[in-house]
Amino acid sequence: MTADADADVDFDVIVVGAGVAGCVSAFQLATAGRGVLLVERGAEPGAKALSGGVFYCRVMEQVFPGFVEAAPVERVITRNCLSFLNPSSFVNIDYGDQRLASPVNAVSVLRAKLDAWLAEQCESAGAMVMPGFRVDRLLIEDGQVRGIGAGEDELRCKVVIAADGVNSFVSRDAGLRSKDRTNHLAVGVKSVIGLDRAVIEDRFNLEDGQGAAYAVVGDCTKGVGGGGFMYTNLESVSIGVVLRLDDLKRRGASATDLHDGFLNHRFVAPFLKGGELLEYGAHLVAEGGLAMIRDLVKPGLVVIGEAAGLALNTGLTVRGMDLAAGSAIAAARAVDGALEAGDYSPATLGEYRQSLQECFVGRDMETFRRAPAFLEGTRMFNDYGPLLADVFHGVYNLDLRPRRHLLKTARAALRSSPVGWLDLARDGWNALRAL
Amino acid sequence: MKAIVIYKWARATASARVRESGEVDWGAAKMTAGDDDPAALDVAKAIAGADGDVVGLTIGDGEAAWALARGVATAFTAPQVGPLADESATAGALAQAVRQLGEVDAVVIGDDPAHPGVAPALAAHLGWPVVLAVGSAALSGDGRVVITRKAGAEVETISLVTPVVLGAVAAGEEARPPGMMETIKARKKPIGELSVAAPAEAVTSTQTRRPARSGAKLLGGEPAEAAAALVTELRGDGLL
Ligand SMILES: Cc1cc2nc3c(=O)[nH]c(=O)nc-3n(C[C@H](O)[C@H](O)[C@H](O)COP(=O)(O)OP(=O)(O)OC[C@H]3O[C@@H](n4cnc5c(N)ncnc54)[C@H](O)[C@@H]3O)c2cc1C
Repeated sequence: MTADADADVDFDVIVVGAGVAGCVSAFQLATAGRGVLLVERGAEPGAKALSGGVFYCRVMEQVFPGFVEAAPVERVITRNCLSFLNPSSFVNIDYGDQRLASPVNAVSVLRAKLDAWLAEQCESAGAMVMPGFRVDRLLIEDGQVRGIGAGEDELRCKVVIAADGVNSFVSRDAGLRSKDRTNHLAVGVKSVIGLDRAVIEDRFNLEDGQGAAYAVVGDCTKGVGGGGFMYTNLESVSIGVVLRLDDLKRRGASATDLHDGFLNHRFVAPFLKGGELLEYGAHLVAEGGLAMIRDLVKPGLVVIGEAAGLALNTGLTVRGMDLAAGSAIAAARAVDGALEAGDYSPATLGEYRQSLQECFVGRDMETFRRAPAFLEGTRMFNDYGPLLADVFHGVYNLDLRPRRHLLKTARAALRSSPVGWLDLARDGWNALRAL
Repeated sequence: MKAIVIYKWARATASARVRESGEVDWGAAKMTAGDDDPAALDVAKAIAGADGDVVGLTIGDGEAAWALARGVATAFTAPQVGPLADESATAGALAQAVRQLGEVDAVVIGDDPAHPGVAPALAAHLGWPVVLAVGSAALSGDGRVVITRKAGAEVETISLVTPVVLGAVAAGEEARPPGMMETIKARKKPIGELSVAAPAEAVTSTQTRRPARSGAKLLGGEPAEAAAALVTELRGDGLL
């Protein structure tokens, strides 16, 4: 970029989208003394974000030391439960560990509160936060991104950071992403159920201020690819299903019916009894893993967070916010370097790609590269729950017939299950590799 | 003439959640522009005239540059005064602020159905006349203000002496909300800060009943069937 073009800008950097990714990058760059505009289409940051989730928040310490104490987080997650749910039985792998409380590894968050707090930090750091405006185009001159357009206004900058989430129109506009294949997309339907703080702690067997996160497979989706989740906030429980769009369509199932069925399931309803529905909504999730990303950088543009397809559903954990923050840190560093050098070419901004690959984000995306394909297999959703329940039924159902060893019990259960030995071996192997 | 427009003096009732206990949960809602605030600004501009002066005034934690982005030259805020349940107390705080802004001819505020008492109480605190439901305003040659307002199907025209308090109602959406550039420029302008003591509240809201929920009906089936069923339902309810 020439010195002339540089002099002509309104801001050094324009960040599109004030989610976790956008706020973290805007904060880092404003703290580094750069002129930053953070544009958010919602009337308030967080207003558009349905929900929240479990935020694996260690990465936030790098940006906001003391994050867990300062930020509006709900509960510190110390119990993780993987639940195989069947119509009249369930098998849980329930893992509680106080080591998860110090240092804090994950917290539940409500995005309306978290995003508002993050945007406030950006503002205090000197960024201009501009809610209520939707960026509707990129200004591209000779292949170089030079700013954004919103309605009649055009604003020029040296680098645009696209942090506009799963449907990122900005990266599509820049030709960095094609229209997603539907099996890369899932729909999430979710409710937030209000309950007393103490009731939550009793029902989920939690110490004060600590929380539980459930990942559920099986009957919660009636065999549709995807799963259920349930986690505790301070005074509410977030619960819902995430369903693969292609599978949902193929089976002609209704996402809202599956959601309602899950909440009313005999083993789920008792957790929620007497609760008050506070919020209900649906949202798209990108589930493609690395396969979705075409490129992250273009002259004058970097793409971060879920806009870059950075989201992982390993079956055990749903991750997006931590990857959003990690990519934002990597991008902010690269953009700061590019501003320093006055060079916004892919060669310089490509530093971002590199450090992303080297940090936990790139590594985890690579490690779980196979997870989307593995989770497409239907046995995981249909058959393993009943199989496990049959094994345990054989163990605990002391019906006065002579007991068999566990291995024999398992073998018998497997014989009457649609899952064959070969399937088990293959899935086991694939699971170990994918997850 | 000099007119004061008061804006962002309440929270949007849409951000309130009525809990089953009857308690109102405002979450992190901030003071925000009401639906009638743009109409109040238009009325204030009409009264000030081309050579006149419109001064913006807001209270609480809302973004005070709202008026500056809409062509108002100077704006003041009294950030200590938060949202109050007592409409007369809100009006009392506003009156204190108005008195600090010198001689004025008119104070214009949105005539918000959620807070019907504020505009009249403001007039009472100031000791001025008040007209509500104002749709438009103009200056007449003799220094009076002429307003129109809808009264049923009629349009009433009223001529007033100043100073006066006007409660304005919007006829529709804001015609031309400011763009990002105007908003950015406005944010860079200074905003005067007024010191106003939050008045003691004499009124407290103790219970809010949840609005009656008329159960939604979902009409399934093929689109044509669903449409036919909808027509039958609407006829049954006497709506068609
Ligand atoms: C049901 C469900 C459950 C999930 N559970 C978890 C979980 O437990 N843990 C977890 O870590 N992740 C979870 N995720 C994923 C997580 O929500 C996302 O990965 C994460 O929010 C991505 O952050 P982001 O900042 O990249 O994008 P977003 O949070 O989506 O933010 C994008 C922002 O950009 C704004 N925007 C979009 N377009 C424009 C535009 N044109 N102009 C201006 N602004 C614009 C949006 O309004 C939004 O505020 C879940 C997702 C869903 C749907």
